Amino acid sequence: MTAMADPSALEFDQVTFGYGRLPVLREASLRIAEGEFVAVVGPNGSGKTTLMRLGLGLLQPSHGVVRLFGADVSRFRDRWRLGYVPQRASAATSLPVSVAEVVRTGLAGQLRPGRRGTRRHRERLEHVLDLMGLAAVRRQRLSELSGGQQQRALIARALVTGPRLLVLDEPTTGVDAEARAILRESLEHLVTVEGIAVVYVSHDPEGFAGIADRVVEVRAGRLVRVDPQAPAPTSQSV
Amino acid sequence: MEILQFGFMQRALVAATVIAAVAPLVGAFIVQRGQSLIGDGMGHMAFAGVGLAFLVGLNPLVGALALTAVAAVALARLTRVGVGGDLSLALIFYGGIAAGFFFSSRAGGGQNQVLSFLFGSPLNLGWDEVAAVTALAGAVVVIVIALYPQLVALAFDEAAARVAGVPTQGLVLALTVVVALVVVAGMSSIGLLLISAMMVIPVATAAQVASSYRATLLLASAIGAASAVIGLLVAFYANAPTGAAIVLVALGAYCATALTRLLAGSLQRASS
Repeated sequence: MTAMADPSALEFDQVTFGYGRLPVLREASLRIAEGEFVAVVGPNGSGKTTLMRLGLGLLQPSHGVVRLFGADVSRFRDRWRLGYVPQRASAATSLPVSVAEVVRTGLAGQLRPGRRGTRRHRERLEHVLDLMGLAAVRRQRLSELSGGQQQRALIARALVTGPRLLVLDEPTTGVDAEARAILRESLEHLVTVEGIAVVYVSHDPEGFAGIADRVVEVRAGRLVRVDPQAPAPTSQSV
Repeated sequence: MEILQFGFMQRALVAATVIAAVAPLVGAFIVQRGQSLIGDGMGHMAFAGVGLAFLVGLNPLVGALALTAVAAVALARLTRVGVGGDLSLALIFYGGIAAGFFFSSRAGGGQNQVLSFLFGSPLNLGWDEVAAVTALAGAVVVIVIALYPQLVALAFDEAAARVAGVPTQGLVLALTVVVALVVVAGMSSIGLLLISAMMVIPVATAAQVASSYRATLLLASAIGAASAVIGLLVAFYANAPTGAAIVLVALGAYCATALTRLLAGSLQRASS
């Protein structure tokens, strides 16, 4: 089937990438359908964060093609369809910032210079604050919240445009068990009710066990498919 | 206030207060991006611009604007081609101070005037210069208001902002140019070596008590303006240099706020 007839949310087609002469990914191919939950695992330095950054258009492949919703990533313009949740360390701020302000920054790419948000933007903001259980703390400083609440604020920021693809980078790092359970519940809701495709990059299988449709391991720069129910990786091609 | 009867004092108050209120509005973004010293780099390049202007017989404001604009573009380019933020800033910094000293030495008679730009001399401003400072500060305010949502997104998470569709490369350049505008606008009243302090210190003070980013910006702007007024009064009655007095008042406000918070925290712990 062609990409135009059935566009995947995210597609890597024979993608190779390296930093200088050091190869990080080699001929990686992966197709993530809309509404699919794919976990990407692998040890530190295996290339999973590079894979994610290529998928978001933050890096350009040396060979191969990355497509977002059927379009080459370098020409992809519908940025509202993407939600990106970086590692929580990036939420560390020098200056005070309220929860609502952090979430609102997710809309910045949709606004023209000199224009403020529309009523629809405000409604989206309220919706995601409610969805992530943050409405009551919207005026609080982000730094005063628990790790789990901070993580949910970053997810709310990624969801505020109503994306169709959500990419999460190590979302459970430094988050307690209760917050992990809430995060898991939220992700299940997004996939099953809202039909959002999710790419979940993590070394911790607890966060996605039981919800991931597929688990992909990045091993020495190559992608290896893993059965989500299997306790140990197998070496099938993706 | 009898000192307001003096025309030179009226002009100094307007120029210093306007620029001290505007500088933290830009400073909040550079502090959050970990680039607190970028104003210093621009200040040194503006020094080169002033020296060059004296050498070739141009208005110092024009010379400073031209070279800081070049520095803003060079800084953005150097960072993009992999010269780390710290190193690229250092290149601008040292290049500026060396070129500034070289040009002003060659200019000969302009050296004393060059020094007045380094440390500020608002009491010598004419109304035309006050108008130029106000126009530059106004341009900065307009740019910050127009790009506010994008600048906040950039300041807090550049990668996430880029994914969200914010044109981060152009925005980084715009922010650097705005820093340059503040430096040039502040060189005659607060001084090229001290104006960057007014971008950073009021923000650091406001951040201790504000609960949101917007509140930090507004409070920092008020602290900057108040520091300028009090600093000018101190300088007038103590016969002290004005730029230094303004920065020392801002620093005093920071220390007083930090001590008050420390004391309040200690009392709270003792009572619980």
